[in-house]
Amino acid sequence: MKAIVVKGVTKDFGALPVLKGVNLEVEQGEIFTLLGANGAGKSTLINILTTLSQPTAGTVAIMGLDPRTAGNQVRRLMSLNAQATTLDGEFTGAENLSLIARLRGVKDVPAEINGLAQRLDLTSFLNRKVKTYSGGMRRRLDLAMSLLGNPQLIFLDEPTTGVDPQNRLALWQMIRELRDAGKTVFLTTQYLDEADALSDHIAFIHDGVIVKSGTPAAIKQRVTATYTLQVAPADEAVATATLGAAGIAFAPTEHGLSLTAKQAEPALTALLDAGVTVTHYDQDETDLESVFLNVTKEAAHANL
Amino acid sequence: MQTFNQLRTLTGRIIRQNLTNADTIITVIAMPVFMLLFFVYVMGGNIATTGAGGAQAYLRYALPGFLLLTMAMGSAYTSMRINLDRTSGFLDRLHSLPIARWVILGSHVLASVTFMLMAEALVFLVGVLIGYRADVTLSSALLFVGLSVLFGLGITLLAIPFSLKADNYASAGGFSYVLLMLLFVSSALMPTTGMAKPVQMFADHQPMTPIVNTARGLLNQAVAVSQHTEWLAVGWLVGAIVVCGFLSYRVYVRMFLTR
Ligand SMILES: Nc1ncnc2c1ncn2[C@@H]1O[C@H](COP(=O)(O)OP(=O)(O)O)[C@@H](O)[C@H]1O
Ligand SMILES: [Mg+2]
Repeated sequence: MKAIVVKGVTKDFGALPVLKGVNLEVEQGEIFTLLGANGAGKSTLINILTTLSQPTAGTVAIMGLDPRTAGNQVRRLMSLNAQATTLDGEFTGAENLSLIARLRGVKDVPAEINGLAQRLDLTSFLNRKVKTYSGGMRRRLDLAMSLLGNPQLIFLDEPTTGVDPQNRLALWQMIRELRDAGKTVFLTTQYLDEADALSDHIAFIHDGVIVKSGTPAAIKQRVTATYTLQVAPADEAVATATLGAAGIAFAPTEHGLSLTAKQAEPALTALLDAGVTVTHYDQDETDLESVFLNVTKEAAHANL
Repeated sequence: MQTFNQLRTLTGRIIRQNLTNADTIITVIAMPVFMLLFFVYVMGGNIATTGAGGAQAYLRYALPGFLLLTMAMGSAYTSMRINLDRTSGFLDRLHSLPIARWVILGSHVLASVTFMLMAEALVFLVGVLIGYRADVTLSSALLFVGLSVLFGLGITLLAIPFSLKADNYASAGGFSYVLLMLLFVSSALMPTTGMAKPVQMFADHQPMTPIVNTARGLLNQAVAVSQHTEWLAVGWLVGAIVVCGFLSYRVYVRMFLTR
């Protein structure tokens, strides 16, 4: 059985069509990434898959179940980490976790909370009120709340957006561990390198249509994404030397170091390992657009 | 069983939020107590109620009104808590969990009515401490609690559409001023007979007056309340529960179940 099957799903908000006939299949136990720019329709699709909203047309099956008729069964199997964190600021992290654990019917609440707190490095601030947390702490707590109760299918809506480079790599590691523990992970992202680094399969969504899907290698074939990486001024010399020693090509620009998608992650890892302070790391803005242009050009050729 | 535990967990969460939040306690408990003391000891002697006059006579007249006022103030927080849960995305998280749909707002309703009754009991206690003596039978006392539950449920259900539609926390509680205004311009704090004629017309025919009069009669056997008034009070309350319940349900379904 497939973990997720989506057939001909459309979604209109009033007169505005947002999803325009989405088809996709997700295997059990894989990391599946929905890659797309802001406004492409990623959250809209995730909301439909997690029973929060209904498609205008088309069908969805989650582990063979129809979310419209078996909503609670679907919700028992899955868990959603929404794009915006959903925490109770007046309560402590531990209280937030315990609330969700009890709602999910977790047997040994303290043991499960402690386990997750260690895995996500929450222990030091678990007993502080959430309204005193930094953005990164909130994100991690929110993620822990979504992992309570051992769900089989985990939806992560842009989990790394706004997360600093160090924590981003830690999150990637955790997502891989989820897959290795047999979970199915449905991830959305705006970042090509993230999709590339994590996914077993990628679907590239543009303006409510899946324009390309396949393995990371297939998606990236024709893509010329670039990344910009900035380091603290004091570390510039070390950074240049480190990248040179690692044989990673880069182009210095006025904004920092420019790298290709393929070399972006190795470069970041090498710099962090060398103790360089990375102040900025991001895919260059126009890039998904160029991915899209490549993909559609390809499609146009295929149709000729 | 699971559903019952979830309802209890979620209701407990909201009541705890109310009890640990200084704003809530000040507005819903300290404010009515302050107003009660102010009206009884500063203005009471100057307000002509039926009977002897003076602070104690006023207390005896007005306490039931203050109890309903307390509950009305609570409705502002009902609305603000629901609004905060919506805007913070917490309702979305609940909707993504295996919880029966009715439990999600049901816990807010249950918590709201419970918290209102707790606040009412506290203000009643203050009333007793400053000399209020209820003159009740077992059945009239139970009927008073029943009336309070209906009143709390009615204004809670009235709060829900506002709480879901309001843009932010602050404006979500705004509708409760209408409730307070209705209570002020009713027989809650003083008899309507001394009011200017058009105001009195309004006061005598709006829902709060029969509700307050019925409450007053239930807490004090010496106050004669006509059956007509009592049925009118129940009619208004049941009507409000049905109409507001239906509206709340519709707004909720549109906003969360068929989006
Ligand atoms: N409830 C809604 N009502 C109207 N338009 C919406 C609603 N939700 C999303 N949209 C629109 O749908 C499009 C896709 O949004 P979304 O799925 O959030 O994109 P993404 O998650 O890929 O950034 C956007 O243009 C957004 O403005
Ligand atoms: Mg989104």
